[in-house]
Amino acid sequence: MDMKRDYYEDVQVFTSKVIVFWLGVLILALAIFPFVAKNYYVYVANYMAINVIVVVGLNLLVGYTGQISMGHAGFFAIGAYGTITLMTQAHFPFLLALPCAGLVAALFGFLLGLPALRLEGPYLAIATLGFGITTTQIIGKIKIFGERQGLHAPDLTIGPWHIQTDKDFYFVLIPITILLVLLARNIVKTKVGRAFISIRDADIAAETMGVNLTFYKTLAFAVSAFYAGVGGGLYAFVLRFIEPELFNMFMSIMFLTMAVVGGLGSMMGPVGGACLLGLLDLQLRNILEIPYFGQWIKALSESYFTMTGVSNIQLIVFGLILILIMLFEPLGIFGIWIRTKKYWKMWPF
Amino acid sequence: MVDFLQMVLSGIAVGSSYALMGLGMVLIYKASEVPNFVQGEMALLPIFIAFMLLSTYGVPYYIAFPATLIFALLLGCFLEFAILRRAKEPNVLGLIIITIGMEMMLLGFVSWKFGADQRAMPFPISAYDSIVIGDLFISTLDMLTLVVALVIMLILFLFFRFSKIGVAMKATQQNENAAALMGIKTKQIRMVTWGISSMVGSVAGLLIAPVLVEPYMMWDPMLKGFAGAVVGGMTSLPGAVFGAYIIGIVEHLFGGYVSIEFKSVVAFAIIVLVLCIKPSGLFARHYVKKV
Amino acid sequence: MKRNLLLVLAVMMVAVFGLCFNATAEEGVTDTEIHIGQWGPQTGPAAPWGAVARGTDAYFKMINADGGIHGRKIVHHYFDDGYNPAKTKAGVKQLQEEIGMFAWVSGVGTAPGLAVKDYLMDKKIPWIGPSAGSRHWIQPPNKYLFNTYPLYLGDAQLLVRYAVNTLGFKRIAIAYQNDDYGKQGLEGAQKQLAKSGLKLVSELPVNVADTDMKPHIMKFKKSKAEAILLFVGPGHVARLQGTAKAMQFAPQWMSTTTCGDHPLMMAITKGLYAGTISAAFGLMDPSAVGLGNKADFMKPTLPSMVKFKKDGYDKFAAKEERWGSTFCAGMGYVEPFVEALKRVGRDLTREKLVAEMEKIQNFHSSMGTVSFKPFDANDPLCRIGQQEVFLLRAEADGTSTILTDWFKTEFIPMDH
Repeated sequence: MDMKRDYYEDVQVFTSKVIVFWLGVLILALAIFPFVAKNYYVYVANYMAINVIVVVGLNLLVGYTGQISMGHAGFFAIGAYGTITLMTQAHFPFLLALPCAGLVAALFGFLLGLPALRLEGPYLAIATLGFGITTTQIIGKIKIFGERQGLHAPDLTIGPWHIQTDKDFYFVLIPITILLVLLARNIVKTKVGRAFISIRDADIAAETMGVNLTFYKTLAFAVSAFYAGVGGGLYAFVLRFIEPELFNMFMSIMFLTMAVVGGLGSMMGPVGGACLLGLLDLQLRNILEIPYFGQWIKALSESYFTMTGVSNIQLIVFGLILILIMLFEPLGIFGIWIRTKKYWKMWPF
Repeated sequence: MVDFLQMVLSGIAVGSSYALMGLGMVLIYKASEVPNFVQGEMALLPIFIAFMLLSTYGVPYYIAFPATLIFALLLGCFLEFAILRRAKEPNVLGLIIITIGMEMMLLGFVSWKFGADQRAMPFPISAYDSIVIGDLFISTLDMLTLVVALVIMLILFLFFRFSKIGVAMKATQQNENAAALMGIKTKQIRMVTWGISSMVGSVAGLLIAPVLVEPYMMWDPMLKGFAGAVVGGMTSLPGAVFGAYIIGIVEHLFGGYVSIEFKSVVAFAIIVLVLCIKPSGLFARHYVKKV
Repeated sequence: MKRNLLLVLAVMMVAVFGLCFNATAEEGVTDTEIHIGQWGPQTGPAAPWGAVARGTDAYFKMINADGGIHGRKIVHHYFDDGYNPAKTKAGVKQLQEEIGMFAWVSGVGTAPGLAVKDYLMDKKIPWIGPSAGSRHWIQPPNKYLFNTYPLYLGDAQLLVRYAVNTLGFKRIAIAYQNDDYGKQGLEGAQKQLAKSGLKLVSELPVNVADTDMKPHIMKFKKSKAEAILLFVGPGHVARLQGTAKAMQFAPQWMSTTTCGDHPLMMAITKGLYAGTISAAFGLMDPSAVGLGNKADFMKPTLPSMVKFKKDGYDKFAAKEERWGSTFCAGMGYVEPFVEALKRVGRDLTREKLVAEMEKIQNFHSSMGTVSFKPFDANDPLCRIGQQEVFLLRAEADGTSTILTDWFKTEFIPMDH
């Protein structure tokens, strides 16, 4: 069934009609969702969609090109500040400011890609981590960015359409997300994507085969940074207020975690990872309201722990989920999906 | 000139605690090939255990500190045995996420058990006394940290050189299969390495704790230790120590002469500079990959 | 066919989320209950400030135990946002839309508050007593947002005044946290010093993650500062004072309300905090105690605090909760709100609450004397209820000596 018969089948974005069909269903469901769900869940969906954008971009870098980045919050911040500043200072319309800010982030991604040419593994991890921390420090010094006082997002209008509610913004955000995910899938299917993958698998072999390492590695950083920048620009309008401290190291680590837990080197994996961990991130605060479990934890806290610190159970559960997923399925959520699919295909054997 | 010397001295003092954290990271990197993000929290839990023993139960220092270090040893062994070893077909990123997961769990556990308040740790010597040499100051706690760091480095050196387990560790790190063929129980060796690393980190933690105890106290030393280890080469123990001291000193010189605000990020600039010249750090041999 | 089935399933799935709708006269108010929301970090690096939310909770429980307000019990919903604005926004939306809050009280932090400010104001939901002294709350003023926290600027004004006029210092320096709180302190100090024709001899930022304070102390020492203002958190105060002691540098330390919890500060600095002058805006009344007299925070004298300790803290706080100023502030920020609730009477609506809040004049809360004015879009001061601070000196035995009486601070608008 998965056999490919000609080159075209290998490069097309949608490998089968089944996928196109399910994509249609998904888009339809997404279109109906805000009309039936409560506004709060629309907000959650917006938050998840932003994570999806960033993580899909990060996956191009980590999953397909084999580079590591622990500094994506830096690009995210550049995108957020860039979008707002372009709109308030240069009076760009939103739909122009967003990609422009993304391109600025991409430029920084390219610059970060240069030292990354010589680094790998933990060396690259700490260098990118440093980039993320430094970026927010520098932003906090720039007058036009409101220094440490932060920036308010301006009113958002696209043509005559004044975007105010989460639902309005959902209809801006979701098409952009779908577009960017499809774009990422398209990149992977082209020459560029194959170059990325060859770098990941064996960079020296790739070079001897004529893949320009300098070009493609920096390109991977730039594309990935572009995604993070666009995500950041959208995030600024979800929060409507940004300050440097938001874009801290923990945010970078969270993005990387989403990508890895989702499953590197696939397209649906990071989407799943971003959705699952994004949802957990927002929803775990209600953990003590789960019947039985919540009461049990509270009783435990009163006898052996502290009631003042009981909320930290969130961290423990989050950490446990990360560990369990990675222990039992190194390919992440994508791996679980593949196994389930196989199981049903092979059933009853 | 006095200023310069004072900065260097302060840099060496702070570098000592970075060096201990860095040593812990390198030990684990050599054993499990993972940048260990749980290094800080592997010290945090023992610090709070020591805090509990000393202030809640009134245990004397000479029992509390050794007990804490033994606890740290067991904690390290437990994390490797119970969690990390269970990973099947692990890749580096998966292992990093597992260490981040462990970090969250330990941090959550400590905050759950002890709450978020800052605390003061009882300690045999005051963190506020200092030794004065001419116009230079070094606090007695820093002096102690420096001495302890040097002693631990010496012990580690002797341990890897002369003890049976130490040699077995080195053998395992160099070539696991060959070591296993020679009859070394490589899995146990790796577990013990984690234990020792946790213990080294906890020593650093216990020497940082007298100033202030709070749940997020180990992030900064852990990152700086990591940075130092990377400058030194991530696989070299003396390299980690040297790198940590470089970072400590440069941080202080930068803070003194250029900008205090960017002092804490200058470490990362050093990394990029060093790694651009020597991609595998100052002390590690750079293996040229063959296809 | 299959597709239709799926659609139906999908619609049903999402419809599950959209269950409860209550239609009452005013959202969040029933015959027997008033629903009040609040956020406060219980996890993350800012978790020590989460005690505010727990303090408010104990206070509301105390009110309920006393019979509630006009026959209604207060149902207090507080949640942990980990000081992450995205989570604050999520929690506020969920509680507001699924249960329906009548009003929001306190709420720790500038950034989390700013993330939800527009949402609450657009929906005309009152929000009383944000727990941060940011100018963003009152500039521009909002009809439904009542600030009871004196601005951080004010601390700096009084501290500098006292250092220059009373102590006669000329060389004043500042260590400021690199955020809104610290920067406001810096601005307040600079402007106040300029009035005496002076300048800060040294101004050093402290990043939240920094742990090594030696370079700071070296610079302070070189600047020969006589007094150093500490616009940082308690942890950094402990680190700065400890490092200074080790380097044998002993200036006059001056700190803010943020570090006004003298028993805590004495404990974490192992006694170094003694002699430090800190600003305060409540939990004791300097006029009642009298200048030069000692006040013991652990044995409150203010009637509202005495009652809160006996009926609130002892009965409703978790057993490991510390009787600290952060916890007590949880009561102080919402006292004007409870007063307004009482004045509105049985027929409770948001508009009436706002009207009563505006009528509050010279109300003696645990956090100073509170007065509001009718709404005026051009007057930021109509929405700041409390602008007075006073100074205390920490003593070695954990008590505090009153140094000044209430001092009315001056509002300096943000320039942009």
